[in-house]
Amino acid sequence: MEYIQTRRNFLKVATTSATASVFLPGSLGALGDIALKGEDKFVRSICEMCSSRCPMEARVINGKTVLLQGNSFSSDMGTSLCAKGVAGASQLYDPQRLVTPLIRMGKRGENKWKEASWDEALSLISTKLSALKERYGARSVIFSSKTGEQYDLLRSFASAFGSPNIFSHWSSCPIAIESAFKHTFGEKLHRDFEEATFILNFGHNLFEGLDIPLTKAMAHFSANPSKKLVVLDPRFSIIASKANEWYPIKPGSDLAFILSLLHVWIRDGKYDKKFVENYTIGFDHLVKSVKETTPQWQQTFTGIDAKVVERLASEIYTAAPKCIIDWGHKATTTKAEYQRTRAILMANILMGNVEKEGGIYFTKSAERVNALAKEEVVPELNNPYPRPQVNEPRIDGAGEMGAAYRFVSKQHGVLTTIPEAILSQTPYEIKGWFLTRHNPLITVANPQKMKEAMEHLDFIVVNDIYLSDTAMMADVVLPEATYLERNEGISTLTCKAPSYAMRNRIVEPLHHNRSAIEIIRELAERMGLGSHYAWKTISELRAYQAKGNAELLQTLLLRGIASFDVPPLFVREPSSVERFCDHYAQSKTWVDKEGCMSHFLEHLKTPSGKIEMYCAEIEQAFSGYGVTGIVEMDVTQGFPYILTSGKSAVHTNGHTQNVPYLHMLLSSNPIWMHPSTAKAHGLKMGDTFYVQNSIAKEKATVFITEGIRPDTLFAYMGFGHDAPEMKRTHGEGISSSKLLSLESATLCGAMITNVGVNILRA
Amino acid sequence: MSPMWGSVAQYSTIHWSWAIAIYLFLAGLSSGSIIVALLVKWNRHERSNSSIWDAMIKAGAVVAPIAIFFGLLILVVDLGRPLSFYWLLIRYNSTSVMSLGVLFLLIYTPIVVVFMLLVFERSVMKNSFLAPLEGFITMVKSFHSYAKMIEYFLFAAALCVGSYTGFLLSALYAIPLWNSPLLPILFLTSSLSSGVAVNILIGLLFFKSTINTESIKYLLVLDTRVILTELPLLGLFFIGLFYAGGDAPNAAKMALTEGFWAGIFWLGVIGVGLGLPLITVIVALRSHVYRVGYVVINSMVVILGVLMLRYYIIYAGQIYLG
Amino acid sequence: MEKQYRLLYDENLCIGCQACSVACRVENDVPDDFYRVQVHMQTLGTFPNLGMKYERLSCVMCENPPCVSVCPTKASFQSKDGLVHIDERSCISCQYCILACPYHARFVNPLKNVVEKCNFCYETRVSKELLPACVSICPTNALTFGDMRQSSSLVHQKSQKEVLVFPKAHLGTKPKVAFIPNRKGAKS
Repeated sequence: MEYIQTRRNFLKVATTSATASVFLPGSLGALGDIALKGEDKFVRSICEMCSSRCPMEARVINGKTVLLQGNSFSSDMGTSLCAKGVAGASQLYDPQRLVTPLIRMGKRGENKWKEASWDEALSLISTKLSALKERYGARSVIFSSKTGEQYDLLRSFASAFGSPNIFSHWSSCPIAIESAFKHTFGEKLHRDFEEATFILNFGHNLFEGLDIPLTKAMAHFSANPSKKLVVLDPRFSIIASKANEWYPIKPGSDLAFILSLLHVWIRDGKYDKKFVENYTIGFDHLVKSVKETTPQWQQTFTGIDAKVVERLASEIYTAAPKCIIDWGHKATTTKAEYQRTRAILMANILMGNVEKEGGIYFTKSAERVNALAKEEVVPELNNPYPRPQVNEPRIDGAGEMGAAYRFVSKQHGVLTTIPEAILSQTPYEIKGWFLTRHNPLITVANPQKMKEAMEHLDFIVVNDIYLSDTAMMADVVLPEATYLERNEGISTLTCKAPSYAMRNRIVEPLHHNRSAIEIIRELAERMGLGSHYAWKTISELRAYQAKGNAELLQTLLLRGIASFDVPPLFVREPSSVERFCDHYAQSKTWVDKEGCMSHFLEHLKTPSGKIEMYCAEIEQAFSGYGVTGIVEMDVTQGFPYILTSGKSAVHTNGHTQNVPYLHMLLSSNPIWMHPSTAKAHGLKMGDTFYVQNSIAKEKATVFITEGIRPDTLFAYMGFGHDAPEMKRTHGEGISSSKLLSLESATLCGAMITNVGVNILRA
Repeated sequence: MSPMWGSVAQYSTIHWSWAIAIYLFLAGLSSGSIIVALLVKWNRHERSNSSIWDAMIKAGAVVAPIAIFFGLLILVVDLGRPLSFYWLLIRYNSTSVMSLGVLFLLIYTPIVVVFMLLVFERSVMKNSFLAPLEGFITMVKSFHSYAKMIEYFLFAAALCVGSYTGFLLSALYAIPLWNSPLLPILFLTSSLSSGVAVNILIGLLFFKSTINTESIKYLLVLDTRVILTELPLLGLFFIGLFYAGGDAPNAAKMALTEGFWAGIFWLGVIGVGLGLPLITVIVALRSHVYRVGYVVINSMVVILGVLMLRYYIIYAGQIYLG
Repeated sequence: MEKQYRLLYDENLCIGCQACSVACRVENDVPDDFYRVQVHMQTLGTFPNLGMKYERLSCVMCENPPCVSVCPTKASFQSKDGLVHIDERSCISCQYCILACPYHARFVNPLKNVVEKCNFCYETRVSKELLPACVSICPTNALTFGDMRQSSSLVHQKSQKEVLVFPKAHLGTKPKVAFIPNRKGAKS
């Protein structure tokens, strides 16, 4: 164990070994002894060990360690926090963390760096980006980040800079869901797990991809003998083990299953006819589309017996409207992802659970609540990250008429188009890339090609806490402060009722770390873009967002969250509406004769203002996609096995594999294989073998288990880091991304994480 | 499900290792040796100095204190915190066999040293090296009148020491292979056999006695008797485990058939420790060839077998938990 | 009034996320690669008729603790409220207690060279009327802890409603930790 041996001497780095520079210059370990500067009383903040961003609180003890737990001011949280959240301290004082800006010496990827001052680093970035803008145009620089505050600022910066090429992680995660919702409801909805009595789950593994409030609700749901959870997943995951019924559905075939459910409900007239009639358009198109998608038909795709479909359709209808057909969190299972997700939304609509307790509901944002209450009940926030218009097409053609990605948001783009765009210089040259909170060489398909493309760039900047695989390719690496060291702005936590949260610093930055917000804001200043912003420092940012509301800021500083005693509102539940009206008398004007606020559902952000089962605009551009229906869903590409991937409860994508406490728990990802498959290939537990397809051939170890379909393999994603400075996890496990194709799902541009493979003996 | 809970090494660590095995052996050797020496002392008829019986008594008087001294030394050094061992002497727990063992040893050890001094009284007095101890020896001489009582007391203390090591292990119901009422008896018998063997060995090698064929024959038969007591005891021990509840049958089965330690049991304990001496004796008795060499080698082999039994029980108990 | 503590581990709510393991590590300064608490999972049955066993491995705070009866220096002792503690001063690390524990709950702390185990976070939490770290942190409330003598306590109420299994009860250790067995899936 070359890392921390004791907690009490935790940062007395083991420099007893004679080998020179055990730690990379610029890393925390190279600094020796550091005490934490923070207070020994709870400070409330927001976790960032994953992007669930649960409200948490933390306390520094003896200047040496940080105790982390849930922020109980949020009743959904209590004091709960997951393993990763609690391990935040382990990440904070990991000697392998970056603490000083680095500038590349030697060749790209050679791992030769010199430590630089912030002035030097930012000056270099500013000069280089300006030069690229001068020579190739601002569009030649792409910007990417995972969504969140830093993305909001980066997007704003990119626009101010003049580049249209801002990418979020959406196309590697939820973009299909976001698109489907946008076209159906105008925005994304939430799920009321607490009150539902039947949940049909398509692999939404809340027990390994945790979000504390949702995980807690789902745990209590599944432990409740009077409620029913049905899980469809090719793997016997943790959530599958908590289900009343688990069906090992063939990977990528969810669409067939859902279409057959829709068929049965429509065939038997078992759906909420009134709701469909009053609040939706395009139902006739749906009827036509699912005419042939019978339970018998779906059986050939999914492997699930037709009788199961009939029975479940009946059970769900009986439970309606307190039922949820869960669309998941990440949607990357097949090329047909968009139609799959649309079909799930149709299922919910037919069951009439929209704006019903135990069903699905719209965000009750501050703006919405204030509009309904006809008074300013909840303070609204300013947007501190302006986005000046950029009139340039993106490299992926997102949002452009006639383009394949016409319906992909210009704010998010399609990540899988980047390598080819750079290599073939179409539609124009790309010369630079600025990344923060993003590690595409681990998380995006075909990182081999992405790396090759990155070699062709003139200038790459990466802002990260570790010298990750992506950071290795950079010209300048900036040492992001971990979330425990950051003060950030106000974020919105709203679901059934409005609430805000704020990230407050728990400890002073350990060395020269800075938050992305500080970095990008200063960069904007240096590049003459500072005038776009109404704020300079974090304090000013917060004050601006809160519109100077000192009370709100004070609450957020002390409690980490602010809620406003607004009763949860379901506009189709008379009791809920009544309670809302008791609080806000003027809202009574919205109430119709059934005691509901039906007006709400007639003024959605869709072209028709109603729920759109059929979108004419989409049908025009993509024939057959206007309504959900049968489309090609195969993921095997002719290979005999399908490699799937997913999350583990102790790791977050590619982020945490090097964190000491988490590495201790799970350090590699042996591939799950059914005993009969292993036997057929002469493999025993722990044996090495190759997973191969037309994209790559990767070495792996086998984990033999009954918990997976014989034709399917599974690997926890995020492993297979090559970065040498991530010493613990370096070289451990397999990167499933290396086997994934850059072909994305139709219409929505989602990456596809189920892929056909072969098994080869080592 | 993929193991994502971290290392499980702490659940299969061997906590009591070679040092404990050797201690148990030495404690058994010491007590067995002194018991055999006392029995011989009480039952012999001649008073000839150079007979094998006298040699055996002398051997016991020397081996017992030395063995227990080294045994206790190994024990203390092997502790996780050797410098804290004094807590054993100031705090006692009446339910802890280990604590009781400390008490027995506190009584046994000084008495066995006194016995040694009494047996070698004349040599001690003659030896100028030990002259400074003259005052002490004079005091010891004054005990001479109580010699018989001391010997009875010593016998009782030795029995306690010899059997407590068995109870030390059998008290742990968490370890199926140890949790048998037969283990203390097995250990005591095995200690006695090691006592017989070491007394013969040291007696023949160091206390230069003449030995006639009658004596050799007698000793070989004595050896056989002890082995023939041990073998059935071992058998009963394992049969008992097979009929016990819980994890015991499984643990016993694995301990006899799997891995390195099963090999140690069959080859070492049974083969070398019991089978080989038995064969030697039968061959010798059959062909009426009574060489001193046979007796010496037999003794060494028996002692080795006893050591291997301790090793086997200690390791197999911790490895094969059923 | 003396307390009668009980810890309930509900296999139905436990998702094996190891939050308890990490929280315990931080709270109690547990040495790297050693665990005072671990949750193991095992897939049972044959595809597709499967079940998952969840098991919490930690000290079960016996009322009849074999680790206390075997300790020669009384370093392993039971307090008035029935909890088993370790006095680091008088522990000589003879490891007899580790062998005596049928639940494999104890281990030698390699940094301090004394024996260590879960102690319900007594010093830092339970003695101050707070919940142990694992109970407090659990994302799904799978752990319930409290005084059985208070009929209003969660642990008392839950004990009345649920089937309780006391691990290795046949040994007579009378553990204070009880499991609520899994109701779903294949059981073997």
